[in-house]
Amino acid sequence: MSRTRGIAWYTILIGLSLIFIAPLVWMMLTAFKTPGEATRVPPTVLPQEPTTGAFGTLFESGSQTPVLRWFLNSLLAATGQAALILVVASMAAYALARMEFRGKNLLFGMIVATLFVPIFILIIPNFLIVDRLGWLDTLWALIVPGAASAFGVFFLRQFFESLPRELEEAAVIEGANSWQVFTRVILPLSKPALATLAVISFLTNWNDFIWPIYVLFSPESFTLPPGLGILQGAYTINYPVVMAGAAIASVPALLLFMIAQRYVIEGVSRSGLKG
Amino acid sequence: MNLHISRRGLLGIGAAGGAATLLGACGDSGPNEKVTGGGQNAAPAATAYTGPNVALAFWNGFTGGDGAFMKKLVDQFNTEHQNIKVTMNVYQWADYYQKVPAAVSTGNGPDLGIMHVDSLATNAARGVILPLDDLAKSLNLDEAQFSPPVWQAGTYNNQRYGIPLDVHPLGLFYNKSAMEKAGLDPEKPPTNNDEYMSALDKLKSAGIQGSWATPFNFTGSMWFQSLLWQFGGDLFDEGAKTAKFGEDPGVQALTWYVDLVKKGYSPKNVAQDADVVALRNGKNALNWNGIWTINTLREDKNLKWGAAAVPQIGTQQAVWAGSHQFVQFKQRQKDDNKLTAGKVFMNWISQKSLEWAKGGQVPARKDVRESAEFKALPEQSALAQQIDYVHYPPSVPGIGDAMNTVVTAVNEAVLLRKEPGKALSDATAKANQILEQNRKKYGG
Amino acid sequence: MVEQSVHALEDPRPAAAATGPGRARRTGVKRSARTTPYLFLVPYFLLFVTFVLVPAVYGLWISLHDWDYLLPGKPFVGLDNYQALFDANSAVFDFFWQSMQATGIFTVLSVPLLIAVPLVIALLLNRSFPGRTFFRAVYFAPYVLGVAVIGVLWRFVLDPNLGAVNALLGAIGLPADTPWTTDLPWAWISLVGVTVWWTLGFNAVIYLAGLQDIPRELYEAARIDGGGKWAEFRHVTLPGLRPVLLFVVINTILASSNMFGQAYLITQGAPGVETRTAIMYIAQTGLRDFKMGSAAAMSYLLTLVLLIISMITFRLFRTKD
Repeated sequence: MSRTRGIAWYTILIGLSLIFIAPLVWMMLTAFKTPGEATRVPPTVLPQEPTTGAFGTLFESGSQTPVLRWFLNSLLAATGQAALILVVASMAAYALARMEFRGKNLLFGMIVATLFVPIFILIIPNFLIVDRLGWLDTLWALIVPGAASAFGVFFLRQFFESLPRELEEAAVIEGANSWQVFTRVILPLSKPALATLAVISFLTNWNDFIWPIYVLFSPESFTLPPGLGILQGAYTINYPVVMAGAAIASVPALLLFMIAQRYVIEGVSRSGLKG
Repeated sequence: MNLHISRRGLLGIGAAGGAATLLGACGDSGPNEKVTGGGQNAAPAATAYTGPNVALAFWNGFTGGDGAFMKKLVDQFNTEHQNIKVTMNVYQWADYYQKVPAAVSTGNGPDLGIMHVDSLATNAARGVILPLDDLAKSLNLDEAQFSPPVWQAGTYNNQRYGIPLDVHPLGLFYNKSAMEKAGLDPEKPPTNNDEYMSALDKLKSAGIQGSWATPFNFTGSMWFQSLLWQFGGDLFDEGAKTAKFGEDPGVQALTWYVDLVKKGYSPKNVAQDADVVALRNGKNALNWNGIWTINTLREDKNLKWGAAAVPQIGTQQAVWAGSHQFVQFKQRQKDDNKLTAGKVFMNWISQKSLEWAKGGQVPARKDVRESAEFKALPEQSALAQQIDYVHYPPSVPGIGDAMNTVVTAVNEAVLLRKEPGKALSDATAKANQILEQNRKKYGG
Repeated sequence: MVEQSVHALEDPRPAAAATGPGRARRTGVKRSARTTPYLFLVPYFLLFVTFVLVPAVYGLWISLHDWDYLLPGKPFVGLDNYQALFDANSAVFDFFWQSMQATGIFTVLSVPLLIAVPLVIALLLNRSFPGRTFFRAVYFAPYVLGVAVIGVLWRFVLDPNLGAVNALLGAIGLPADTPWTTDLPWAWISLVGVTVWWTLGFNAVIYLAGLQDIPRELYEAARIDGGGKWAEFRHVTLPGLRPVLLFVVINTILASSNMFGQAYLITQGAPGVETRTAIMYIAQTGLRDFKMGSAAAMSYLLTLVLLIISMITFRLFRTKD
């Protein structure tokens, strides 16, 4: 790249990034303001009376508001569900993408069709099922039901479809069975997709606030979204506390994303195809 | 019911309590069946509980600052009562109203709770909460100890379902600095229409839009309802068979409210919460808002503000109010010890509701209201003066669905998308349809 | 042990660009016994049947009743709930179709943006340059936040009278009183804008993963053939991305037509109920008004519409050659 093109390039990138980052920066700044200053008109940018009061509220865990515990629950639930989805969805997606069997298209169609059913309809029946299984107020209720979503299967099936078949064919010729082809050829080739699905699944679970309302009861079982909700009064929004909570909640997700991006997605080399 | 039970415990209870089939059929009793619980035993007046140790689950929506006040009371109760342990769980109100029925239906519900008075009928009709007539009788509670409107509002189908804890009405909150700037006396907020309009004129000359009109439920719709009653109208007729808010008093009320915008006393397009934020910043001077605003305004140490009864704009005094009520929840199995202990708890908290009032409430109980300590709380007692003319929506199941049409009408009118008369008549048509739908669903 | 069976597999890849020069076109080689596919499917299928299929079918059953899970009588009403949606005199007719219109407007406005813009950004970020990881994180960062926070944040920032956006606009001389959250068409602009800001990273990351799968040799071959960047895009990138693109299109249509949180928090359906989306109305009817039967019927009608749209999309992708 020539010098001027390089500069123009970075200018565009940085300019666009500012649009993205500005609201987030404002969020972070608000976390360090007092409630009064956060709603001042005209709005201030930097905190005039900086305070860590909002974070203090978050961390002064009483028995009613064990914030660290919520954080841990969220982490376990999101990681658990992401892992479960990766395992079951990849196997199912592989079968649907590469194998032949009776009723395959019908099955795939049915699975995808359920994506179109608004999730609200599924809440009450799932609540009754989860109750029956004895999972209410436990992590199981947070991990298992959501893993059945058709999203992961649809997502991976499309990715598997787009893989060139030569490597699989080569492996078969060398005597590999389905499971070996799956684990030694397909999965390694699919790291970008798997990592992406892991991040997306993690995030979906991490930010879910509707399902936990129904299945969680005691404060110790809460995840972050319902938990942070009860730190808010009923009638007015405490902006610094909301923003501080969001800041804390976003750290693991961003970390996960950056790790996945750097070490998994970008680490995949395409050299496999040359052999 | 102890919620910290293991999975095995849950399965055990499920088996013992009778199997509910997986898909539905959870409601094995409806509003008309004799419900277990609610103190059918003619036990002696329950000011003391002498049975075996018992644990009670108490759920409510007192999140944030409110929660701290109630928690303090609960802790004190637990200390003073060796054989009763009350655990309090809080959830956001919107979540609470979805969660509690679901929990009760699967036998995981709490023993006691708080509900808003306008949710009692719906929950009673759906068999979520139990009648409390016997409890009220055994505690010698009646209308004289509360106030007529709040006591009457806690019934459905001629049975009592709620014991009032507090009343939270609208009040007039005013920014004293803004008033001074306009040459008004900050200690004398307006009390009638003439004073109100002249105050607004003065504020306008000083460059302040004195009374922001919000188009949203909090608190635009409540403001409108207060005006509706003040002009002599009502939301629905007796038994809520038809909607009456679209008749003349309603049109008058909504026109007055929308005129605030049209005459420039309020900016257009006021967004949710913007009116309170503006009040805190001196851009708004006179705001009709709920008693909960006390806590919000207290956060600003530099703000000079006051609270008073809402002015009488119409022909009579009236004001919107909500009320938190104690309720008891249906259980799979009747446990007399828990019911009695629950009575003791409710009675105790009710008597100590002064502590609760400090969090920004008006106690429902008359003797607490008239105590010297309560009168020493300036803002709360100012709003408490309205206690005899507060209004509640009718105690009819599903009334909230119909009220949504009012919220929409106010929204459309204040945002100047429809004339008040048209907005209200459109809403009336929809509300009547909904009322009929509800009658079919809930019976009666 | 090598199990071999050969089936003709319909290859959805377009003939032109899927293979490099000189590679023979082969259909998929199957080596599975009869049961292997089912073994791969069983774990997922168990979960799927329990937590998705059974509730979905149960939901259909609910839609045929006047259903409230707490009331004992759940009278069977046949197709009444569905009929009411087409009966101009019923209570739900206006509300439902108004909400469908809101959903339609939002979907039509947001989907093209959410398909095209992330693709451009993904292409930009697909090269190797210093700071690449950082920039990728920047575009993805908004999605890390949940809708609850986004809604509260933007509602305040877009406040017509007190928000930072109008304050900024006023400072540079533009009108400072645009009703971003309370009037049309501004409310739509706000909702679409916030949604694009929030979820652009999501689609971009998916595209990036898909771009990784396109073999470099194909690009090299295209370069040898001449033709420049646009030809590369048309003949290598797009076809290589096709299955992923299909996924993104379907998923974005779905996500937009299920939009709920943003409208609920930022505009609350205002003005009036103009921005109240179908899901908002369905959720209110089912979960707050406890009229699950009606809510289920509305949901399945929405499902039907979306299924039709998706089938058309699937067809388009099949024939787009």
